[in-house]
Amino acid sequence: MSEPTGLLGEVFADLAARHPASLRGAQEARAIEPARFDATAERYLGWLRKARGDAWLTSSVNAYVQFSTDVIFAQADYEDDGAYAHDSFAKAHAEVYSQRHVMDEYLWGVYLTNFLWVHHMEIMRFFQDRFLAPLPANAHIVEIAPGHGGWGVWATASRPDVDLEGFDISPSSIAIASSIANAAGVSDRVTYTLRNALDLAVMPEASADAVICSFLVEHLEQPDQLFAVIGRILKPGGTAFITGALTAAQVDHIYEFRRESELIVLAEQHGMRVRESLSVSPQRILPKAKFLPRSMAMAVTRCAHGFW
Amino acid sequence: MSATLDKLTTVFHDVFEDDDIVLTRETTAADIAGWDSLRNVMLMRKVGRTFGFPIDTSEVTGLKNVGALVDMIDRKKGA
Ligand SMILES: C[S@@+](CC[C@H](N)C(=O)[O-])C[C@H]1O[C@@H](n2cnc3c(N)ncnc32)[C@H](O)[C@@H]1O
Repeated sequence: MSEPTGLLGEVFADLAARHPASLRGAQEARAIEPARFDATAERYLGWLRKARGDAWLTSSVNAYVQFSTDVIFAQADYEDDGAYAHDSFAKAHAEVYSQRHVMDEYLWGVYLTNFLWVHHMEIMRFFQDRFLAPLPANAHIVEIAPGHGGWGVWATASRPDVDLEGFDISPSSIAIASSIANAAGVSDRVTYTLRNALDLAVMPEASADAVICSFLVEHLEQPDQLFAVIGRILKPGGTAFITGALTAAQVDHIYEFRRESELIVLAEQHGMRVRESLSVSPQRILPKAKFLPRSMAMAVTRCAHGFW
Repeated sequence: MSATLDKLTTVFHDVFEDDDIVLTRETTAADIAGWDSLRNVMLMRKVGRTFGFPIDTSEVTGLKNVGALVDMIDRKKGA
């Protein structure tokens, strides 16, 4: 495998120089499918540089290393305590989502995990191949909790025929996702609005051809309510890309999913059929871990023919 | 060799399960096989427990080498 070049080469060189402990995971993520990884990274990093300006490299690498370190610390605490540290949405909102500085750093960090974490790169491939490729022409996509915006912007930048409407509860998300959409040149087809996902229950039924909802379920006290929203706004036959974290701690993870089947059953209970799914864990975990952290992605369809 | 570096060496032996590790102030993650982001966190938690103070994640991500870690421990012990 050749050495990475371009913006990715800069990120790898910066990790090697300043954070060598964090380099190995990124190299593993690249090794799975180097050509796809390089193409994905180059696009993501190009938008990042445009959105953040000259200081993009150091500040984004710092945010990534900080976020990844926080996650491993949280996982180690979770191993000790047997439960996530928090269970209150109000607290996560007050201490994380609404805090501009905290949330900005967090989201820039998460943005890079979309491909630098090996199990997230697997999900990125699933997203591209199993959700985006089969999306019907001129689809209207609703993105719930876009965070940094990377998923939806990827969709609109790859498919000039689709448009997207995103809703997030965090002002940081609205600012950052808008800046990424702008950098990608898709802002004429993308809008972001500050709104609680659960309030989308008042949106017209069957108004979306597709839904993207990545890593929100584990942030809610009652994830059931979110599945009700997705099942309502999706058109019959429409597809949703839904991801969630299982036995994976983070400061703002409050609902502890333990089994893949829990997410599948929630989709089924709200009129959807899981067509494909993928559950992946990191390549290295804490020694003697009781919990295997996983990220799960599903491509689900709202039932249109009785049973599917 | 400082007392802190001595004690830190036993922490490294424990976390990396390798008693042959020799630390200098210049040692970095690139010099020790298996010093990845997971081991880094295990190391910092063990350092906190061994030296008797909690470590905040923001304090560890910026550390350049073992020397910077020793200085941080000495500063915290003195505080
Ligand atoms: C871990 S981030 C996920 C970001 C992005 N979708 C991704 O997959 O990387 C969680 C996001 O959910 C948002 N969020 C949390 N609770 C929410 C709610 N009730 N309604 C809307 N957004 C919410 C947060 O502001 C944050 O942007």
